[in-house]
Amino acid sequence: MDQLKEDLKKQIIEQLNLEDIQVSEIADDALLFNDEGLGLDSIDALELIVLLEKFHGIQVTKPEEGKEAFMSINTMADYITRRKAEQAV
Amino acid sequence: MSFITSYCHLTNKSCFVNGQLIAARDTDSQDSWLKQLYKEQEIVYPKFYKMDTLSQTGFILTELLKKANSNIINAYQDDEIALLFANRFSSVDSDVRFKRSYQEQASPSPALFVYTLPNIVLGELAIYNKWYGENMFAVLPKFAADFYINYVEILLSTGSGASLCGWLDIADEKIDAFLFFVEKEGKGNQFNIESLQKLAGLI
Repeated sequence: MDQLKEDLKKQIIEQLNLEDIQVSEIADDALLFNDEGLGLDSIDALELIVLLEKFHGIQVTKPEEGKEAFMSINTMADYITRRKAEQAV
Repeated sequence: MSFITSYCHLTNKSCFVNGQLIAARDTDSQDSWLKQLYKEQEIVYPKFYKMDTLSQTGFILTELLKKANSNIINAYQDDEIALLFANRFSSVDSDVRFKRSYQEQASPSPALFVYTLPNIVLGELAIYNKWYGENMFAVLPKFAADFYINYVEILLSTGSGASLCGWLDIADEKIDAFLFFVEKEGKGNQFNIESLQKLAGLI
């Protein structure tokens, strides 16, 4: 799980072109769409959807799921783990 | 008669406010030059990290001017400060990066696309500072003092109380930026072609 979170941070930095941010500067529980977190916006939500498909093979088909999944690195990692488990069944 | 009440310059190596060196790039730092300046300002605005170099430069220099001249924050209503910016290269660095994102990575990036217009920097300044005044971004063949003189004269005679002006020349990550604040009253350099060219380093 820790590796997944580390990978997610690197992928977010790459996908959102946040080259000035180091992985160590993103806290697992920081709110991604809050100005005290990463300050992401609706354009970035699109990027996160692309990221999930590109790096993890997961399509976000229900918008309400995305809202919860994209709250933080922790919730994204939980979402990926759950969706992969569902796909494996 | 109007006055240039504060001004600042930024290159890839150094940053000057009102002619005084306030920061020099630490080449040993892992942080980019603009991030070094951002940290020194102790601002908490994560959106800074998403901006392209053009917007980051405009943002940082505006913050430096606000520190140097409290009038920018205190003396005007939110619709009285006009923004008048220009450069030679439009948003070329972001244009090239966006082109690469769809040509080489086959994935056009919305986060890059939103910076493929030069006037986005004005939007960033307006959003952060809650400024709702006039704004204009021109692409010119070179720094033209008469452009600023003529345009600001119109702005100041049609409702604006002051104008934040900028020349943000950025291409291939090379920065040559000059911001100045013009007020109807004040002390300092008179707002005319000669003094503007002098402050811009042209004469």
